[in-house]
Amino acid sequence: MLDAQHNEVAGAVAAPAIPRAGRKQSDWIAKAAAKRGMLLSIPAWVMIAPLFFLPLAVSLRLSFYDKSLGLPVEPSFVGFENYRTDVFTSTFAEALFKTLVILVLGLLIQFPLGIAIALALHRRFRGRGIFRTLILLPMLLTPVAVGLMWRFMYNPELGIINWWITQLGLPPVDWLGSPWPAVVAVTLVDSWQATSLVVLMVLAGLSALDTAPTEAARVDGASSWQLFRYITFPALLPILLVTLMLRVIDGFKIFDIIFILTRGGPGTATQSVSLLDYNVAFTFLATSRASAIGVVLVLLTLPLYFLWRKVAKLQEQA
Amino acid sequence: MRRHNHVTAVAVTAVAALLLAACSGGGDDAGTATTSPATEDSTATEAAASTCEAVNVFLIPSPSADAIKAMTPAFTEATGINVEFTEVEYGTAHQKALLSISSEQSAFDVVQFDNTFLAAFAKAGALTDISSLAADSAEYDMNDFPASLQNYGDFDGAKYGLMLSTEPFIQWYRGDIYDELNLKPATTWDEYKSNAQAIQASGLADGQMLGFGPNTTWWWMQVLWSFGGALYDADFTPTVNTPEAVAATEYYKSLLEFSPQGALGATGDDVTLQFVGSDIGQMVQYSGYAAGIYDPESSSNAANIRVAPVPAGAVNTVELAGWNIGIPSDAPSPECGWQFLEYMLGKTNAKTLLENGAAAIGRTSIIEDPTLQEKYPYLSLLNIAPDVVVNTYPQIVVWPEFDKVASDNLAKILSGDIPIQEGLDAMQAALEPVMAKEPR
Repeated sequence: MLDAQHNEVAGAVAAPAIPRAGRKQSDWIAKAAAKRGMLLSIPAWVMIAPLFFLPLAVSLRLSFYDKSLGLPVEPSFVGFENYRTDVFTSTFAEALFKTLVILVLGLLIQFPLGIAIALALHRRFRGRGIFRTLILLPMLLTPVAVGLMWRFMYNPELGIINWWITQLGLPPVDWLGSPWPAVVAVTLVDSWQATSLVVLMVLAGLSALDTAPTEAARVDGASSWQLFRYITFPALLPILLVTLMLRVIDGFKIFDIIFILTRGGPGTATQSVSLLDYNVAFTFLATSRASAIGVVLVLLTLPLYFLWRKVAKLQEQA
Repeated sequence: MRRHNHVTAVAVTAVAALLLAACSGGGDDAGTATTSPATEDSTATEAAASTCEAVNVFLIPSPSADAIKAMTPAFTEATGINVEFTEVEYGTAHQKALLSISSEQSAFDVVQFDNTFLAAFAKAGALTDISSLAADSAEYDMNDFPASLQNYGDFDGAKYGLMLSTEPFIQWYRGDIYDELNLKPATTWDEYKSNAQAIQASGLADGQMLGFGPNTTWWWMQVLWSFGGALYDADFTPTVNTPEAVAATEYYKSLLEFSPQGALGATGDDVTLQFVGSDIGQMVQYSGYAAGIYDPESSSNAANIRVAPVPAGAVNTVELAGWNIGIPSDAPSPECGWQFLEYMLGKTNAKTLLENGAAAIGRTSIIEDPTLQEKYPYLSLLNIAPDVVVNTYPQIVVWPEFDKVASDNLAKILSGDIPIQEGLDAMQAALEPVMAKEPR
């Protein structure tokens, strides 16, 4: 009796059983919806394909030929020769190394600084709006203008940076004429501009955070550091991951600031992979060789997206 | 399921794109055959030109390009021909121009290019042979050019470009500093160094300025040739680690001691900017920078700057650079293009072109004009003496890559990372595969 009653109650609160015919219908509706979604997205893919997949495909094909704008011969198939002469070389390895150095050093500056500034700007104080605008200004400037401005600032004799250094009693530095100072100089300029993006993203994340846990923790006597470490930072992780992915992809593409500041010099001290690719394509006019480098660059950055998706998924599951 | 369908759609689209690319043609033709101009008879040219309505001109931002644009309204008024300009910055200009011409877009009637790309353009069949047009034109008047400048723009015996600017290396020096220290302009590289030492020791200024940065090969080549060295031999084998090259590089590097801070990273433009903006006793720089050097608004010492020929070494030689301008092989109206060039670069308007701010072209009628010499003191130096060996940038297709490899290796030598002989040996080894690509 009790079992029967129990079953009756259980039946009442449980989800109503879908009859067999109903299950088939809901499956069909779901499939139809999925198909409709796919069909509706095709126009977008048709637009994206020529802008993304087609150039990539053409570039891939070109990388197996010996096309050069300056040579009068019909390009012939050379297989992986361009990869051998332009990718598996010490020049490419050095360019990749320098790209990674600038990227990693930059991230070590941009993220701590960006988070700190965002936390400061998230508080209420007089003039907060003005400071927020000023902090975002570097991001709004074109890289060419930024590079030119900093080039003058780095001038060893006339630049303001060395003036400040000498005021502190230190010897002036030939920022753009020495290999490792040039790497630091490029990193600082890139970080000066990129930190604004980190600030913006973190500010957006902070604005969306639920304040209840923070308030509760504050009532319980948590310190600022504890609040940040156990509540704010974990909550910001998804935003930080997205920002990290964007910055890493940008880092691999770094070109314009280096081009204006040092042209990749002195020598190849600050030559990034993008700049190397530019030189091969536009200076050497070696289109196929440049395509080989470009293909490898795409292969290097593509896994970053999938890595980010995987981490984001793990985040969600956690 | 939904994600699977999306992935399928993406994969299908990607495969379609790949198939599309694979089925496409065998790439652009590398170039078209050079074409003779439609007519070599001046009367016919005039008749054809009278039907011209417009010319399309490809320019690279420069004082010469600005001067051409400034003269265009007068050209249009005189001829009734409208002019459309396309200006592309130096970094991508040559690639864009070559791509346009080799794919026969017929976009331009006139194209400006750096002389360093003459070989690449000519080999690719991108330029019209204008030898007879130039030779037969009374207005252009080839005889108005010194013999040493008449073949600037020639490749393999044919003329593919007119001279748009004549820019030899010359010696620029601060007359006030020289007078105070009782110095004379150097006639040899030893004297140049000696002057630099004296100026540096006096404390009045830095001794000298050359560019040891991304454009270092500009000056290194001048010194190399002066010391009797060469970049490669007749078989296109690099010769950059010979005893002459080592001696030249030792000398070149020794000048760093008398250079201002920043010389190691200075580009070609930086050299001039620093010379005009700070106290530096002397520099070697192309004459094409004259406008900025003499401009009192940008040059704080404009009134004190004097000129002299570039110093000589074992070989009395000068490096000659400058712009060329020609007619693309796919020009829709080559006759109209030639009419435009005749007007802009002809004898009649040569003075106007100069006075509109262009870098001087070494016409005898210009460089020997006393009024112009007074206004532009460097003009007489464009009349290069017959006993001076004129060296232009190497006319090889692979020159841009050669230049980059050489300057990358020079940077390591100049910064002291490696000894000179070792650095030049490394340069030699790096240049050999580059020169192997040069079409024979």
